[in-house]
Amino acid sequence: MADASSTQKVTIDGHEVMVPPGTTILDAAERVGVVLPRYCYHPGLSAPALCRMCLVEVEGAPKLLPSCVQQVQDDMVVHTTSADARKARRAVIEFLLVNHPLDCPICDAAGQCELQDYAFETGQLHTRVTDPKMVLGRDNVTPEIVYFGDRCILCTRCVRFMDEVAQEPVLQVVQRGHKGYIDTMTGDLFEHAFSMNIVDVCPVGALVNEDFLFKARAWDLDQAPSICPGCSQGCNISLGTKENQIRRAKPRPNMEVNSYWMCDEGRKTVVNWGSGDRLEVPMLKGDSLLPVDWQRALSALTEALRGEPGAARGVASAGASNEALYILRRLMEVAGFDGGYFAVPMAEEHVLAGFPKLALRSERVPNARGAELFGFERSDDPYAEVASHTGALFVLDDPLDGAPEGFGASAAIFVYLGTRLSPAARRADIVIPVTTFAEMEGTFTNFQGRVQRFAPALQPPGLARPLWMSGSATLERLGTGSAYRSAAETFAALAGDYEEFDGLTYESIGPGGSLIASARTQTARAG
Amino acid sequence: MAYPHSHPRETRILSEHFGEIEATTLDGWIERGGYKAVEKALGSMSREQVIEVVKESGLRGRGGAGFPTGLKWSFMPKDDTLPHYLVCNADESEPGTFKDREIMRWTPHQLLEGCIIGSYAIGASHCYIYIRGEFVDVIPVVNQAVVDAYSRGYLGRDILGSGYSLELTVHLGAGAYIAGEETGMLNSLEGRRAEPRIKPPFPAAKGAFGMPTTVNNVESLAVVPHIVTNGGDWYRQWGTEKSSGTKLFSCCGHLQKPGTYEIAMDFNLKDLLYDLCGGPPEGREFKAVIPGGSSVPILAADELDAECSYEGLEAAGSMVGSGGLIAMDDSTNMVHAVRRMVEFYAHESCGQCTQCREGTYWAAKILRRIERGGGREEDIPLLLDISANMAGKTICVLSDSAAAPIVSSIQKFQDDYMALIAKGQHAAVGT
Amino acid sequence: MSERKLHPAVAGAQPMYRAENDPDAPLFEGAYKQRFDDILTRYPDKRAAILPVLAMCQELRGWISSETIERVAELLDLTPAYVLSITSFYTMFRPQPVGKYLIQVCTSIGCDLCGAENVVEKLLAATGTRTGEISEDGLYTVIEVECLGACGFATVVQVNERVYESVKTETVTRLLEELR
Repeated sequence: MADASSTQKVTIDGHEVMVPPGTTILDAAERVGVVLPRYCYHPGLSAPALCRMCLVEVEGAPKLLPSCVQQVQDDMVVHTTSADARKARRAVIEFLLVNHPLDCPICDAAGQCELQDYAFETGQLHTRVTDPKMVLGRDNVTPEIVYFGDRCILCTRCVRFMDEVAQEPVLQVVQRGHKGYIDTMTGDLFEHAFSMNIVDVCPVGALVNEDFLFKARAWDLDQAPSICPGCSQGCNISLGTKENQIRRAKPRPNMEVNSYWMCDEGRKTVVNWGSGDRLEVPMLKGDSLLPVDWQRALSALTEALRGEPGAARGVASAGASNEALYILRRLMEVAGFDGGYFAVPMAEEHVLAGFPKLALRSERVPNARGAELFGFERSDDPYAEVASHTGALFVLDDPLDGAPEGFGASAAIFVYLGTRLSPAARRADIVIPVTTFAEMEGTFTNFQGRVQRFAPALQPPGLARPLWMSGSATLERLGTGSAYRSAAETFAALAGDYEEFDGLTYESIGPGGSLIASARTQTARAG
Repeated sequence: MAYPHSHPRETRILSEHFGEIEATTLDGWIERGGYKAVEKALGSMSREQVIEVVKESGLRGRGGAGFPTGLKWSFMPKDDTLPHYLVCNADESEPGTFKDREIMRWTPHQLLEGCIIGSYAIGASHCYIYIRGEFVDVIPVVNQAVVDAYSRGYLGRDILGSGYSLELTVHLGAGAYIAGEETGMLNSLEGRRAEPRIKPPFPAAKGAFGMPTTVNNVESLAVVPHIVTNGGDWYRQWGTEKSSGTKLFSCCGHLQKPGTYEIAMDFNLKDLLYDLCGGPPEGREFKAVIPGGSSVPILAADELDAECSYEGLEAAGSMVGSGGLIAMDDSTNMVHAVRRMVEFYAHESCGQCTQCREGTYWAAKILRRIERGGGREEDIPLLLDISANMAGKTICVLSDSAAAPIVSSIQKFQDDYMALIAKGQHAAVGT
Repeated sequence: MSERKLHPAVAGAQPMYRAENDPDAPLFEGAYKQRFDDILTRYPDKRAAILPVLAMCQELRGWISSETIERVAELLDLTPAYVLSITSFYTMFRPQPVGKYLIQVCTSIGCDLCGAENVVEKLLAATGTRTGEISEDGLYTVIEVECLGACGFATVVQVNERVYESVKTETVTRLLEELR
């Protein structure tokens, strides 16, 4: 007999694997690459073992066992594809379809529906159900989420999310048996800062986001891993895009940051992010502001900085990436860094009760921590700090909405690096178009000090390019550095210059992110 | 009022005082020797000794599963400091079963004695009697008995000066067959939907309110005082090695004298049907008998010469179950009867497990269609396949219970199906 | 309604169908407040009191309204949706008002074999209702229910707190007259 501390040997479909005691068959199977079908099981929720989809055959057991709750025992031999297990699985699909409307052509979940996938996999082309189906209809459960009762397979993931994770059990199974359905208190709609997660956990098309309804088919969306820019939490997300626009965001699991979840506000924030009237070309001020090519723009910027315009002050957005902020700092240092400021919009914090590491943070910007690391200071009124500056003035990715009259008028040179050309920005001498987080590769540093990578999801508009690209080319022209060929190379340079980032590279950051040095020691002390 | 029917061939231990209105009162019960067993157990026996004598008696749970009662009690932790609970399962709802109702309405103190002794044996501080809410005529009787037992010191603090204290609460169900399933009952008692739980953990480890708990059927508990008084061997004088003692069979359906009969467990089923129950109605013959509540397989008329023991009825192809005997004479259409039973399970499925929720619904629809003349020959293999897919795959056995009568009726009464299917096809051709 | 003091052990175990009820009766006042408090003492947590508390509300008001659900939720620290999930799971809780006499006819196998369907038909005809409706005079609601656990005395008919055993089509008229 193995003792509790040792590992146990399990054989799954002929593959041996050693796992710690307490591991479920489902988890052990995943270690050897066997993904068992499941509906009620979700790794972020308790396992009620009620869909009976993940039944497997265990040698010596009289019945098929639910792999999501059945723990392994030493020398257990499991067959996930035995005739009995396959028949049971096929039967569950058939049972689930007894009252299912098969309205895939008009269902939002088509293409990402686990019922559809497994029905296809088990090859059930013809139904044996000839009797009429029950009809339940549809109803809103929140102002933005619709419940299609007929599609629901009563896996109760949504009920458990609201109960266990949101800890507001406002969704319940009502009635019982085949009459059961999911509902709020009759007629009530609920509101919760994390309510959209019930749409994500739904394995079929029973809970759908009304905003997304009929907007795009799942298979038409391109996906890119990203980081939510909505607040300083830094939720790991996947951006779904179509026709070069962000259509939706879904959480990507990261146990250190957001588990499997993200807030509703973050989702809404990123939809169509960066679309609309964009700054697409570099511009220089002659008699008026006129478009120029990159050569002339960079030459102008180089010349301006060589001309000793006086020490540089700037306003930056804390929504800019670490790479952009680093390059901005270096550009400013050419003239002499005399202070950089950023505003942090604040709003109410919403903590997710069942996973309190995650909150919609009151700091509604993604990279305030990063901005501080590069020497920028938070300010209630960053415009006031620089409005009457007489040296070089830099503005990075701040639309200058609400900037005072005559902002930048006294500056020797006013460089605007941005995505939109607001009236205040039009007073700049040099205008450089930059990209949004969704149009480039980069990193943010979240409130914990975790550096996390995001990938490009969209094509940048027109001639807009990431600041690391245009900025480092300028630095090369100035003879103070070399032009970087990638965001990764920029980050490597940044990590060499700033101790907090020492040792970090894009490779080492990996999919889960890495803590900056001071956060690492803090975590170690706390541990 | 005399008890409806009694018969000299019965062995009346539990049912001795059925029909005697005075026996329902505390004084009447004490006059009949009541509460002597409580005095003996609490006054002169240790917890272990009580469990031991129940083990010796060979008593098996009378709710349906037939698990040995003494053994179940012995699973409760011995030296822990957690509160323990005894839950008396009085949620009698299996179609055909009405024996616990008789125990409670005629001898409520017999049940209370069992509850007190059982609670003592497992170290329970609180006992809940979970009675189905539909028992509107039984509930006041039990309530009165509980109040009287409190007033006389059989319940409450320091019972009869023994140092043992026990609270007892009558808890009512509110209309859910599945609350009769052990873990469904625990969820229901906790104020949740009566959805059965995954086992393990078993109730003895983590039961009501997360604490060690034993759930016992009314009949199992009610016989315990007799075993404590007379000993395990005394109880073993009836029945067989594997099925000791007596059992109440509640008999309904097409019978001359339906009612609850107490027989030694080696009694013959045919004798129970023809002798005690008086046989089928005048001019009729038995077509089918379900011996243990609607969830056990149906026996055909030529399979009735069987011993009413756990092993005897199993050998005959069915089960003792809850002892709810349903007799059907030759006027019965088995498709109709099975449809009614499957509809019951469809109505009572909690709906957690896919196979049960959808399978009971689907099978009931098909049966109803056949009954109404819309049947097809391929419905027969389809029903059998649905049944196979429903059995043995769910959290509890309600799904299996619904499948059992479908399968046994097709095996034994396929003619009834074929006749309806043929009739329907003729009708269709005729139109 | 005068209420004698109930022993706490049985405070939550009173029949929930009564002919005398008032849909607007105040909940949790006087003797009922006492019972509510007593019920809570019998369980280690508040949630467990939900069935007896709902039964007490139905005993008073005859059915469970949304307002009742919300009151119970508030008192037991539960969400209204949770309470609804309970009232809709257990079939004895009525989601709408019923006649003064709720006539429940068992049509499960034991009673079915002995002609329960005919008893239902007769009762519906005699009360001039369809299943679940309230008769014009407000007196009767007839519903079919699953096994009432008295199968040997088929057909079993339960009217509020009373059980009528061995009801035949011939005795239906007498049963209804007895109620009047």
